[in-house]
Amino acid sequence: MRARITDKGNLLTLVDLLREEYEVIAPFYGRGRDTCFDTVTDANRHLVQVHIPNPYYPPKRYVLPHIQRLLRIHLNDHPRIEPSEDTPRRAIFGIRSCDTAGIDHLDRFYLGRDFKDAYYERYRQNLFLVNVVCTDPDLDIDDDCFCMCADTGPAARDHFDLQLMDLGNELLVVAGTEKGEALFAHPMFRKGTPAHLARRRQILADVRKRFKLATSWYSSTVRYITGGQIGDATWEQIGNRCLECGGCSYMCPTCTCFTVTERPAGPAGFERVRLWDACALGGFTRMAGGFNPRKAAHDRRNRRFFRKLAHYFIQRELSVACVGCGRCVEVCHGDIGMPNVVEILRRATAESERHEPAAH
Amino acid sequence: MSQPHTENIYLPKVAVLDRVVEEIADVKTFYWHFEDPAEQAAFRKFQPGQFAQVSVFGAGEFPASLPPSPTEEEFFFTVRRVGSVTAALHQLRPGDTFGVRGPYGNGFPMKQYFGQNLLFVAGGIGLIPLRSCLNYALDNRHRYGKIQLFYGARGLKDLMYLGALREWEMSRGFECYLTVDRADDQWTGHVGVVGSLFRKPGVTVPVENTTAFVCGPPIMFRFVIRDLKEMGFEDRNIMSTLERYMKCGVGKCGHCCIGLAYVCVDGPVFTYEQIKRLGEVI
Repeated sequence: MRARITDKGNLLTLVDLLREEYEVIAPFYGRGRDTCFDTVTDANRHLVQVHIPNPYYPPKRYVLPHIQRLLRIHLNDHPRIEPSEDTPRRAIFGIRSCDTAGIDHLDRFYLGRDFKDAYYERYRQNLFLVNVVCTDPDLDIDDDCFCMCADTGPAARDHFDLQLMDLGNELLVVAGTEKGEALFAHPMFRKGTPAHLARRRQILADVRKRFKLATSWYSSTVRYITGGQIGDATWEQIGNRCLECGGCSYMCPTCTCFTVTERPAGPAGFERVRLWDACALGGFTRMAGGFNPRKAAHDRRNRRFFRKLAHYFIQRELSVACVGCGRCVEVCHGDIGMPNVVEILRRATAESERHEPAAH
Repeated sequence: MSQPHTENIYLPKVAVLDRVVEEIADVKTFYWHFEDPAEQAAFRKFQPGQFAQVSVFGAGEFPASLPPSPTEEEFFFTVRRVGSVTAALHQLRPGDTFGVRGPYGNGFPMKQYFGQNLLFVAGGIGLIPLRSCLNYALDNRHRYGKIQLFYGARGLKDLMYLGALREWEMSRGFECYLTVDRADDQWTGHVGVVGSLFRKPGVTVPVENTTAFVCGPPIMFRFVIRDLKEMGFEDRNIMSTLERYMKCGVGKCGHCCIGLAYVCVDGPVFTYEQIKRLGEVI
């Protein structure tokens, strides 16, 4: 990996450099604390900044739109099926390390198995990622962040094209791909010194202390779930707190499930679209005719955490479907985001082991 | 980055409906062919037990098992009218077009059963996914030992493929035992659940060197499994095919997951041994 230094004042020069080739997406302040990803335009480019709370709504939609047309079906005289082939060229400026890992997980899921998803691939191949290392203890990191346990942050090690780190008056810029490195030809970049790297190490060491959820019992929970050690009563306890809103999945940068539906488009045609779906919703597994194998809310909660934490699935994608962004913690009204569920499972298992010392 | 052409896995191919045969109430068989002969030839490689995604344009898409054996000339689906898309399919007339993509999933490993006895146990429309396997075995009759079918339904009017079964029984050397839950005036055969056929006088079910195929409603499945286990069948010699809500058929949409398995890509055919280890009750 190659690295360069540039002055912090060159930030917008870098944004403009990207805008020459891409539609640049960056996080902006909305009302109050709310932030959201939006396209950088001439009108708002001065509002682009390095430190800003990570938006609730994940950047997943730039590779997997929440509503995406798969095909058009024209039924004039003879049916003609026209697949969508739109290929937006986008750069996400300021994607956090957790979300970078999220996109890598989606890559592994949609492109890594027998069937490759051509729609996802077209969006992904044209996406340029400018990762920002979370270093501001107030703006970048909040109490719900647990990327340290998920091993995705605060500084991503891979899966970005460029990575920016705020060193004070300067930015340390690391290239993760050849595409990223090509930008170093611009005169705003200069070579760094060992002092810059020392500063980087110092900043990272300091910022790691900011994380409230520095350790959770993630890996032991993987073991408990994989070994089938979690009793139904524990899942029921978790399920009882689920409001079945689906928010956790919609906010999750790694959730992949979608549903497909058809809607009229034009006088003699239909379009088939796919939409994000959530396993929390009651109809997720309901079949035509009404039979629903996963009727109880706790069965569906079991499903979500089993899918994310069972060793088999981690091995299948060689990546954990949880990147520690903390969005589910913030969005869940029942307080069963990932860290809390991990804690409930750990406590329940520790309890049962205490009562049954010879259970193995 | 280079952009290799990736095949669009969600793209249905246009199929033409040839004729429709009424099977039982709400169940019809749809004979069809692909408009494109190349697709027709490619699809012929399907295995018994695989399934396809059927599109009714404007209504949606649903997974349907493939009841024909690959040794048969014609392609067809047998579909019960149960939801909005299947209802739309039931409205189609010969000459109408619809969409098909597939075949998907793992079929029954038919070559693995060469030299074995095959025991089919089906309930109601559970015979549809087993029909392919049964007919494939009958078309390769010399390769298999004893072939038996135990088939039950609510009443005479609910028994599927009755004509074909009677004909195959006469001409192709397999044992077919039928039962109904409730008999009417026209029914002279056995009355009771499918499992009761195993204990009928004169019926012998070989257990050694036998693979059992079970498909039917969940309650029937549970009782038949219990009967088979009592007879001495091992879990790995009991096969079944599962159905789930499915949107993509290719392991992406996530709806059909049962525990560790995506029914669409890891199944739909499972051994009972696998089903028990999925990590979720089916």
